[in-house]
Amino acid sequence: MNFSQFQNQARLYVIGALEPEELEEFEKARKKFGKKGEDFITKCYALHEAFALSLRPAKSSTAIKDRLMAMVKAKQGT
Amino acid sequence: MGPGKLIASTRRKPTKRVRLAKSRARPLTVTPQLEPGAPSDLDLMLGIQAGDPDALSQLYDRYNGILKALILRVIHNEAEADDLLQEIFMEIWNQAKNFSAQKGKPLGWMVTLARRRAIDGLRKKQAYARAEERLQNETEQQPDAWVHNATEEEILLSDTRSLIGKVIKSLPPAQQQAIDLAFFKGMSQREIAAKTNTPLGTVKTRLELGLKKIYDGLKELRDEL
Repeated sequence: MNFSQFQNQARLYVIGALEPEELEEFEKARKKFGKKGEDFITKCYALHEAFALSLRPAKSSTAIKDRLMAMVKAKQGT
Repeated sequence: MGPGKLIASTRRKPTKRVRLAKSRARPLTVTPQLEPGAPSDLDLMLGIQAGDPDALSQLYDRYNGILKALILRVIHNEAEADDLLQEIFMEIWNQAKNFSAQKGKPLGWMVTLARRRAIDGLRKKQAYARAEERLQNETEQQPDAWVHNATEEEILLSDTRSLIGKVIKSLPPAQQQAIDLAFFKGMSQREIAAKTNTPLGTVKTRLELGLKKIYDGLKELRDEL
């Protein structure tokens, strides 16, 4: 696998779309490319941000936040 | 991937045009720009790591809408999405120690976590059939469901969304569909092939081409702006 092929696979990898047999090959290539490969994978996670930010934010009930903060404070108190 | 990297940033006031932050480092990211004086996402994550509930409260205010939209896109159920949103922010609180700024931005970490939880939730509840039915109904009612045109009243981060939406909308519909099913439904290539009655090799090509175009498109967008 050359680096260009690795880049294609990395973009699939970060969205969890590699098939098991591809994943095995990808992990081998990942070791082969070392830091360069890891850096590229990290960059690919920006796709996650992009997909999320492409959506219109949804409103949620204020009760959710109230419950969340109560749970956090209760946990701190234990 | 060339050296250019995207920063598409927005101000939080809806009436203002998008402004792009200039950065020497040019990280590949699409993080919203904050009001002057507001703590950065990283500041808030560090606060959470230090056990400060106010940091979590601020991070919640900043991103609950985005994460809720992501969850809703996966599970298509308002009540379940609210429950999951609460669980995800609790997990952010509990797992904050595992966040490392060297491995990416806080938003990316949160989105990755939220997506995984939402897809897990979908599978655990064996709600595929119900969700697909709802998705089908929504698609029929609103064919362009991925990218919405928001009104000014509901705009939060709308400029960023618009810019990213432009990139995504430039893809052929088949590529958009393949990416949508992979990212928002957590489907494997084989599952997408079966669902869309498309050869596996074609699905793979659509995903590869589509993701590369988005990745490169984000970079070009950043370079233009």
